[in-house]
Amino acid sequence: MIRRILSLTGLVALMLAVAVPVLAQDARVEAAKKEGKVVWYTSLVLPSAEKVAKLFEAAYPGVKVEVHRTGSERILQRVMQELTANIKNADVVHTSDAGHFVFLKDKKLLMPYTPAGVDKFPPGFKDKDGYYFGLRATVTAIFYNTKLMSAAEAPKTWKDLLDPKWKGKLVTAHPSYSGVVATHVLALEKQYGWDYFKQLGQNKLMIVQSAADTPTTVVSGERIVAVNGGEYSAYQLKKKGNPIEIIYPKEGVPLIVSPTAITSFAPHPNAAKLFTDFTFTREIQQVMADSEGLYTGHPDVKYPTDKPKLGDLKLLSADAEELQKRNEEIKKRFVEFFGA
Amino acid sequence: MSVSTHRRASGATLRGRLEGVDRSLPVWVATALAIVALMALPLAWLGYMSVGAEQGTTFGHYREVFRDEALRKALWHTLVLAFWTGLVSVALGAPLAWLTARTNVPGKKLIRALVMASFVTPPFLGAFAWVMLAGPNAGLLNRMWRDLTGATDPLLDIFTMSGLVFVVTMYTFPYVYIMLANTLALIASDLEDAAAIHGAGRLGVALTITLPLVAPAIVSGFILAVLQALALFGSPAILALPAGFHTITTQVWSFFHFPPKVEQAAAVSIPLLLATALLLLMQKRLLGRRGYATVGGKGGQRRTIALGIWRYPALAAVFVVMAGSIFLPYAVLAKAAFARAWAQPLTWSNVTLANFTFTLFEYSSTKAAILNTVELGLATATMGAGLAALLSYVTNRRLVVGHQLVAFLALAPVVIPGVVLAVALFIAYTRPPFVLYGTLAILFVAYLTKEMPVGYAQSDATFRSIPPDLEEAGRILGAGRLRVLRDVTAPLARSGIIAAWCFIFIGVIRELSASIILFTPNTRVMSVVIFDLKEEGQFGAIAVLGLAMLAMTFATVSVVQAALGRDVLGVKE
Amino acid sequence: MPGVAIKDLARHYGGVAAVDGLSLDVKPGELVALLGPSGCGKTTTLRLVAGFLKPESGEIWVGDRCLSSPSAVVPPERRRMAMIFQSYALWPHMTVAQNVAYGLRFKRGLPRAEREKKVGEILRVVQLAGYEARYPGELSGGQQQRVAVARALVVEPEILLLDEPLSNLDANLREEMRFEIRRLHEEFAITTLYVTHDQGEAMVISDRIAVLERGRVAQIGTADELFHQPRTRFVAEFIGKTNLVDGMAVKPDAIAHGPLTFRVASDTLVPGAHVALSIRPHHIELVAPNAPKEDGVNILQGSIERASFLGETVDYQVAVKDSDLVVRVAAPAVARLRPGGLVGLRIPRAACVVLAEG
Repeated sequence: MIRRILSLTGLVALMLAVAVPVLAQDARVEAAKKEGKVVWYTSLVLPSAEKVAKLFEAAYPGVKVEVHRTGSERILQRVMQELTANIKNADVVHTSDAGHFVFLKDKKLLMPYTPAGVDKFPPGFKDKDGYYFGLRATVTAIFYNTKLMSAAEAPKTWKDLLDPKWKGKLVTAHPSYSGVVATHVLALEKQYGWDYFKQLGQNKLMIVQSAADTPTTVVSGERIVAVNGGEYSAYQLKKKGNPIEIIYPKEGVPLIVSPTAITSFAPHPNAAKLFTDFTFTREIQQVMADSEGLYTGHPDVKYPTDKPKLGDLKLLSADAEELQKRNEEIKKRFVEFFGA
Repeated sequence: MSVSTHRRASGATLRGRLEGVDRSLPVWVATALAIVALMALPLAWLGYMSVGAEQGTTFGHYREVFRDEALRKALWHTLVLAFWTGLVSVALGAPLAWLTARTNVPGKKLIRALVMASFVTPPFLGAFAWVMLAGPNAGLLNRMWRDLTGATDPLLDIFTMSGLVFVVTMYTFPYVYIMLANTLALIASDLEDAAAIHGAGRLGVALTITLPLVAPAIVSGFILAVLQALALFGSPAILALPAGFHTITTQVWSFFHFPPKVEQAAAVSIPLLLATALLLLMQKRLLGRRGYATVGGKGGQRRTIALGIWRYPALAAVFVVMAGSIFLPYAVLAKAAFARAWAQPLTWSNVTLANFTFTLFEYSSTKAAILNTVELGLATATMGAGLAALLSYVTNRRLVVGHQLVAFLALAPVVIPGVVLAVALFIAYTRPPFVLYGTLAILFVAYLTKEMPVGYAQSDATFRSIPPDLEEAGRILGAGRLRVLRDVTAPLARSGIIAAWCFIFIGVIRELSASIILFTPNTRVMSVVIFDLKEEGQFGAIAVLGLAMLAMTFATVSVVQAALGRDVLGVKE
Repeated sequence: MPGVAIKDLARHYGGVAAVDGLSLDVKPGELVALLGPSGCGKTTTLRLVAGFLKPESGEIWVGDRCLSSPSAVVPPERRRMAMIFQSYALWPHMTVAQNVAYGLRFKRGLPRAEREKKVGEILRVVQLAGYEARYPGELSGGQQQRVAVARALVVEPEILLLDEPLSNLDANLREEMRFEIRRLHEEFAITTLYVTHDQGEAMVISDRIAVLERGRVAQIGTADELFHQPRTRFVAEFIGKTNLVDGMAVKPDAIAHGPLTFRVASDTLVPGAHVALSIRPHHIELVAPNAPKEDGVNILQGSIERASFLGETVDYQVAVKDSDLVVRVAAPAVARLRPGGLVGLRIPRAACVVLAEG
């Protein structure tokens, strides 16, 4: 009986939504407010994620964003670990490992949802089945400390890093933590094979976890050169006046498109949709480009002039399906070559 | 006087039988069952998981684990770490104990306070601080070294096995210190005088009397330090992983990375469990043999040895050690908390409160994590101190059949490294009948189990010091057992139980190794947030949270000291 | 006022029998001392009576209530007893008045004012009026003892149990307290069991003494009976000093020890039986060597091996001639004999008590 009333109410709501879009928008905000919050599992670096959350909360008072920020690979681990205990917590999942979304879609853990305005995005940012969409993109690059090394001495290409003279001077992030680095490893492996990493391992790299931590390690001077890492993090540090420079190797830079999706079990589906739409608005996409130094799929976004345009870079890409299939192999080989 | 004077004898017997029922028995039995359940369920699951297969049982997981080259390496690293930590802890802790217990070194109170501080400092904070101090290139000490000498090579490299041993030792040597200082304080000088009168020289006395008397304490301090090193997760994760090597604990943790290999984690956990159990057994046998009664002699006089011109050099040496565990780490944490860039000098342009505002107000996880930590700390300490008090009461007064087993179970978690406990709890409480994963309850259970030995040992000592006479006197005057517990025992045990409460609280707020496996985004605690921030490289925020954690710890320590009327390290001078 | 009946009580500790078939009857209003060396089971017996321990066999009755049996033990708080502990067991966190009043809390229907009055009265009895607000830690040992006594008496127990209550006091105070306890017993006449290892204490305080040996009652009787008619070697040795002489009965009233013959205080011996004699040192008189024979008196010859001056008496060790016997003699300190001197030993027949040997 009650169920019948509920489904009737649902039907009415749906009819209203189709009939009066403006009203529907309001109804959705109301529904989101009733849910009170949206739980966001994100790999976007912490200060940026908190900023997006604050902007959303300002735009939609009454709907809180619970930011759970950690590395991409940890996010998948947590989502899956929680599901084994039948915990349904995450509304929106956003990582830098496109393979995750192939995996989650296969497991029927994603809700098909196309955020408003993404039809104008380039194909690389869209799942053909409409489950996930690229929220932001970055490339991986080489960074070096400008105080400790001149531009002339700096490595220019990925292969330059294999030179034994860099022994003890390099830092890498970890593909068991960072989706950016997992993607990076696959892209370079396809270019140069595992042999490249085997040789790189000879140079005794310092291993940090996050792709955002390689540029900070370089800035602190603990290591002079980062062999990978999120270019947007390095760009932010550089803009704040830290002694760091970014090198985009001519052989090409891996492009990492970080998708976002709503889970099929989202406890706050309305807030999740509202939030997802919000993150794809031109305003937020522009914020990501401006202050965070990210690339986006939004055609109307303007980029800072002190940054190369995506079109000017030679991009290496990794296929999401392959990323998903070779996930374990990537991590295992990395540990084999780098120790931990 | 007697109402039943005219009753028939047989009637009186029946009445006696009814009168004979001890109404407090259900309480004791429930207490005993609680500890059995707390321990048995996870360990049973752990064992089962390690041999469980699709059908029947298998040793496949063990085979897989021990055939794996990487795991064998991790095992080796753990052994190296544990052994050297034990050795260096003795090398530092033993002289320190001797200095404060037996010599006229100046500033004894200060030294004890500093040892206490390193005892309660969360080791992972120390490890984190030492990254900033002795990272080979950016480390502040190395930079000073280079500036002073013009050298290109670093003075120290913390991202090595020796660096790891050093940092771990800085926070484990207090275990040796405690064992030895408490023993030395009990050896009366007349034992040594007796040898001297029989013709032994100074060295002879030291070698034939003092050393053999304290040897069990030294060895058992060594074993305690080894156990600490075996179980530690935070320090290896912060120092060994960047250097490209694993220890067993970090390896177990990495088994939880996606896709999880819980069976293998279980299979690694069991040998680790057995190893620690074996070590503890050795320590117990060691302390149990050879009449400790002599050491427990009644307060004969203890002479202090005059150090002469060595007084101040000795103090200086102590300060060097303390620089390693307290002064430098605390200073660099404070610096990082107030600096824009921790590696840069603290000039005016580099000073900021931004780390505080970000950590405490903007970072949404902080408040929840602090709240969770305090909530768990209060709940675990209260429940733990209560349960420990009841348990030690049950075992001290032998109230249930199998009270020895109860005592054993209460102390058993000592041998369970945090990660192993976490694996066991994860397996046990992610499936029916008790699905606790994802709630604070699973962390509560983990902390309760992990801290039970500390609470139990403290309350056990408390109840031992309360003669059973005092309770029996109440019983015979007409008070039931529970009434006596309320009127007599509890008031007398109060300060001891408050101390147990504080010890548990301190243990909980610093707990990382079990939390790191059991937390979910909604149940993050401070230590986990610090670890997360470390993975992301947010040094300023870590420093702020670290200082907050230290402040909470020291506030609690001062409560213990007030309750016990002595410091937390043991016997009074 | 009920008495206590203990029937065939047994209790083991780790395989060792602490109490092993002990039976004892305490009459209403009587004070019986349980006397014995450490390990004889006296404290265990007391704790069984108090209900702190459960017997493995046997029963404990108070009046017509069976309080302990292997199947059920009435818990201590419902036995209507009171106990004074060796350590006094005063609660350090309560004042003297609170300590004493504690047992009264469990007397239903006793008004507060009445309670306070009783406490005041009993403190006056033990001469501690004015100490109500003190804490036990602020009292001397003797005062603490009195508080313990007051705490036990104020509840008017049916049975009073005392566990070596004087052993923590110094010698002078102990002597004084013996009489004090006896006085209080005469005043209150509570059926009492009193555990001690001090025979002097037992003799002063008790109506009857039960000497315990290996978990059983070896002999029970008044001090006089035990001293003059010990039934066993153990009792003879434990109550006062004595000389023990082993021998074989040769006549119904005589035994032989080697070439020596003793006339004894018995005429029912079976010739050929092994018997032992107890001869108290002060019953032996030192006489001149070769003193004349008398009827009913044993005269022996010996030489003094050692003489120890003890003030009122001199303790002599005398080696008996033609024998391996060395007897101890307690003689008045009037005449002092030197070691090496020859003496005669005069032992009346009545002093040679035949022991029922076990």
